[in-house]
Amino acid sequence: MSKMAKSGSPMKKPRPLVRIVLLLMSHRVIVSFLCFIAGVIALLLLPILAKNTYISENALMPGSANPMLSTQDVLDAEKLVDELMSLSLQSDDAGIEISRMLLKSVGDLSAEVSQFQFYPQANKFHPLQFFSSHFNDPDQENRTCISPSVSTVGIVRAPHGDGKEAIILVTPYNPLKLDAGEALSLGVAYSVFSLLTKVTWLAKDIVWLAADSRYGEHESVDAWLSEYYAPTFHRSGKSHINLCSGSNYHQVTENLAVGAEPLESFRRAGTMAAALVIKVVNGSKDSQDSLSIYAEASNGQMPNLDLINVVNYLAVHRHSLHVRVGKFWSLLESECLKMIGGTIEFLGNVVRSLNPQWGFGIPVSEYVEGTATLASSLYAQALGVPTGSHGAFRDYQIDAVTLVISPKASPYNLGKRSEFLLRSGRLVEGVIRSVNNLLEKFHQSFFLYLLTGSSKFVSVGIYMIAFALLIAPLPVVAASLYSDAVTSQPESDMVECSESSSSAALSISCGSWRWLYAAKSVFVIHIWAVVVALLPYLICEIPNITSRTCSISWILLSLFTLHIFYNVFGSPYSSVHSSYPHNEEWAILKSVMIAAAFTGVSLMSVVNFAAAEIGALLLVPFCLMAQPLKLDMGNSNVKSLARIACNMVCVLCLFPPFTFFVMKGLSEGFSCFDIGEFWTWVESLWLWNSATYLYVVLVHLPCWVLCTHLLLHPC
Amino acid sequence: MKEEDEVKTKSSTMKEKKLTRFWEWAISAIIFRLILIFFFPDHLSQLASRPEVSTPVTSLRRLAEGYWLKKQASISPYAGSMYHGSPLLLSVLGPLTVTDVDGQSSHILCSLLFVIADFVAALLLRATGQKLQSAYFQSSNSLGLDKILGASEIYASGDISALFYLWNPLTILTCVGSSTSPIENFLVILSIYGACTRLVPLAAVGWVLATHLSLYPAVLGIPVILLLGYGPDSPPKKLFLQKNSVETADHSSDSRLHHVKQGTDSAISSFSWKPIVLFILWASAWSIYILALCGISVRQNGGLQEMFKRTYGFILTVEDLSPNIGVLWYFFAEVFDFFRNFFLLVIHFNILFMILPLAIRMKHRPCFLAFVYVAICSMLKTYPSVADSALCLGLFGLFINQLLDMHFSFVLFCGYVGVNLLSPVMHNLWIWRGTGNANFYYATAIAYAALQIILVVDSASAMLNHDRWLRKLTTTITKT
Repeated sequence: MSKMAKSGSPMKKPRPLVRIVLLLMSHRVIVSFLCFIAGVIALLLLPILAKNTYISENALMPGSANPMLSTQDVLDAEKLVDELMSLSLQSDDAGIEISRMLLKSVGDLSAEVSQFQFYPQANKFHPLQFFSSHFNDPDQENRTCISPSVSTVGIVRAPHGDGKEAIILVTPYNPLKLDAGEALSLGVAYSVFSLLTKVTWLAKDIVWLAADSRYGEHESVDAWLSEYYAPTFHRSGKSHINLCSGSNYHQVTENLAVGAEPLESFRRAGTMAAALVIKVVNGSKDSQDSLSIYAEASNGQMPNLDLINVVNYLAVHRHSLHVRVGKFWSLLESECLKMIGGTIEFLGNVVRSLNPQWGFGIPVSEYVEGTATLASSLYAQALGVPTGSHGAFRDYQIDAVTLVISPKASPYNLGKRSEFLLRSGRLVEGVIRSVNNLLEKFHQSFFLYLLTGSSKFVSVGIYMIAFALLIAPLPVVAASLYSDAVTSQPESDMVECSESSSSAALSISCGSWRWLYAAKSVFVIHIWAVVVALLPYLICEIPNITSRTCSISWILLSLFTLHIFYNVFGSPYSSVHSSYPHNEEWAILKSVMIAAAFTGVSLMSVVNFAAAEIGALLLVPFCLMAQPLKLDMGNSNVKSLARIACNMVCVLCLFPPFTFFVMKGLSEGFSCFDIGEFWTWVESLWLWNSATYLYVVLVHLPCWVLCTHLLLHPC
Repeated sequence: MKEEDEVKTKSSTMKEKKLTRFWEWAISAIIFRLILIFFFPDHLSQLASRPEVSTPVTSLRRLAEGYWLKKQASISPYAGSMYHGSPLLLSVLGPLTVTDVDGQSSHILCSLLFVIADFVAALLLRATGQKLQSAYFQSSNSLGLDKILGASEIYASGDISALFYLWNPLTILTCVGSSTSPIENFLVILSIYGACTRLVPLAAVGWVLATHLSLYPAVLGIPVILLLGYGPDSPPKKLFLQKNSVETADHSSDSRLHHVKQGTDSAISSFSWKPIVLFILWASAWSIYILALCGISVRQNGGLQEMFKRTYGFILTVEDLSPNIGVLWYFFAEVFDFFRNFFLLVIHFNILFMILPLAIRMKHRPCFLAFVYVAICSMLKTYPSVADSALCLGLFGLFINQLLDMHFSFVLFCGYVGVNLLSPVMHNLWIWRGTGNANFYYATAIAYAALQIILVVDSASAMLNHDRWLRKLTTTITKT
């Protein structure tokens, strides 16, 4: 009973959880500052927290079997390379000759062979295609009379398989301008392919796609894949010829000359387990042959880590290749990074001297290298643009990597060439043999990770911490601002009505719904952002337009629509309600804006983590700091002056085109400044269906506009 | 929508905020839907396969399949576990699914029907809101609160709720997304409207048909009966009694008080049994009629027993475990088979357990009780979709004046926006990109359920607080 009486007392203590939340909210400045700094530090610590890769799927068993690729296969391949090289030097119709020769040589290996031809498609604007799966509507009408690209497809049926699964080898080459590296990559694939026609251990079909990449590597592979998985039935072989008959005789003869089969004979194997894209480039400066692995597909998707592990393991431990993953070379010389690395190493040494068991430090050079690789990995994922033709596979949930092998010797050096062919052929054979052992899809290892080295990775569980710390201040500040604004209004509590029945005290307050006005303004700005995102539809329609005029007209049209939106729906200031004190109005607007930014950034972190991470680094400080300039102007102490300065810098730097130029300038130097580059960059983003485009226009831009509004708020 | 001006209403001296451009906004909502239907048929057909929009019970694609089985193949529409709806819906909507209009996609007639259903539902909501509003004025008059309340603004809850229903993105998605839910929502609103305006046959037909189509509206029988018995929402009966007792003790001979007293007497009119009996009679008549129609329709395909098994049985036993925005599919995919029946009972009793306590506590506010029931069902039903949320939020708008003091309105709003955006992304990550798994998607379903719980708890407590506030007011007034 006494308890009951106590709990009924007017000063009821809230529950511990509520108290913690209230404590956090009341110290919002210090909390958000600490969280943000902690987030940045956690990001810088990622190279230290990286773990060594390990092969998670036991069935892979890389390197357990001896390589079977013999010198005889290599000799055959060398012969093919020589013939291809001589053909490419010959005449202008080398393209036809090369594909014909590939057709013949693959056919001689007693493998199934076919050809696939496709026409390039006009670049189209598909901003929302990221959500839906692929629709490749080939518009027949607009196709001009250009020669198709003809890819050669060879298939080895597995003697032990049921034909339900396949492994894909892709060698892109440009028949119009075949260089030595491409010829060598065809040679590598040919040697492995010829071996695989003879072996008995195959359990999965092998498909070799010699992709004619005259219209781009990615396009040809993508066209073949979409035909493989989603065939279009309305096309027929005849229509190709009829389209150009009369106008272009050469076209018809070319079709006949290649012996292009109609598409009914498109050959398929099973579903794809994995795909390897093989490229050979000249000019390695290393003392040994080196292998670069490219894995980033569209929207920051990565293949299963096991695939990279297998390649890395075989390359390092079996064939002693020097394995690299992409890194920012400019960061290697960065003094700042060296200093951070030095500090960390020092701290590590101190800790180790206290207790030898607690070693966490890594050497400076390793740290700097890890950071450079991590930065490159983050950048490539954030851009959302695939780093090679393997990107086309990821859209069909197939794990794929590009292996770029660079020989130390010149490809014209015949003695070294056969050794190189043997070595890289055995690497490819080893990888295929491992994947061949798989019983299920790749699923055991990670899909969400960042690489900090060829054998080091940061998994999602760790890198999410940095991101979570970065965005944690957003909900705290939003809730705190909101509750402050709502509770600071004139006392009109509904339950505790005073004895004096003055009408003001008894009136129903709609306090908890006051965010509706702010929500309306935020919503209007977001709708405007959607319009801005769709404006390129219109701009693309204008004929003969340069990228510079494109970007300028985009910006002008955006401003114009913003003006229209203000006239129709009212600007964020027009909703300033007369009955409330103004200084709360901006707080509520800011809190709703932060809530919207939080939602947007969290969404993006699910879609493309790296983009969200970089976006949060840019956006969060501005969101937190934005405050009407008028308030800061009033009291001229150091704090408000510093805030004004920070806000002005943020306003300038976060305007998307400006951010782009600053980033570009930092990475490549501020030599040339062309506004058209921004348009080209944006165009590349939407051509690849990158969600980063949507993020920039639908989350970043409205947030920037709202923050700018907040700064100019007439409170 | 925000441009409001204060208009004196005839019914009372209170200031009422009215939406000036109701019809413009309503018509533009309809036009927006028509634009979506006529200009984006490809996108809509993609939308129709989304788990958020169409469930196995409400999918129009399944209905078309069932119709084809029945007409062309002349076998039972329930064959092959494709269709699980009512045979009546099959006869009404089925012919529309196969009719082509100028080469447009064949579902266009159905979509037009859904647009009409949405529009009529919104108008009914508006009428219900007006009815509730006048009841609110009347009760506050009789409590003598009109002077005090007159200072504050009263929003036209009918208009707000109708526009909120029409412009709610969830309603729009449901309407254009080729599912039969707009019809079900319309019937639920029809039954509540009928009960509010005391049109017993209308209430009965709405309730019976809604129950027939989706089973869960059966629990709405209680609020409908309470509505018919007590009349629309009013402050608790205690308040009137309290006021009466104070006044009789005063013995004042003021004429104004006499007038008020009469009003008070009329306001606390006790439970009337006559409309209830009428309602039960009408409801049984309608159900017999509908069962007879169904019986004729499925005569050659196994009769009524087969129909019950394939419709209500399918709903109750959670046979289809394909992912949806509810919380049960994952649960029953994981649960061991021999516990399945036990958990089925637990899950369904979960809804039933909450009915009685809520009905006792909120019997003076039957409309709000209906809203709470709808919200609970939309959370715990076996195949939920956003249509249930749309209905529940539409009803929520009716009580905007009473719920002005909700604590978590901003949190709820942000949560709804966030979860509704996150859920398709997680689905994409799991199904299409293969980098996520089922847990990612299920997490958003749990968050969604939690949001609905917060909505129910917060709105119910705000409503009870409103009652307490009214009581304080009346005591203050009678003391002075």
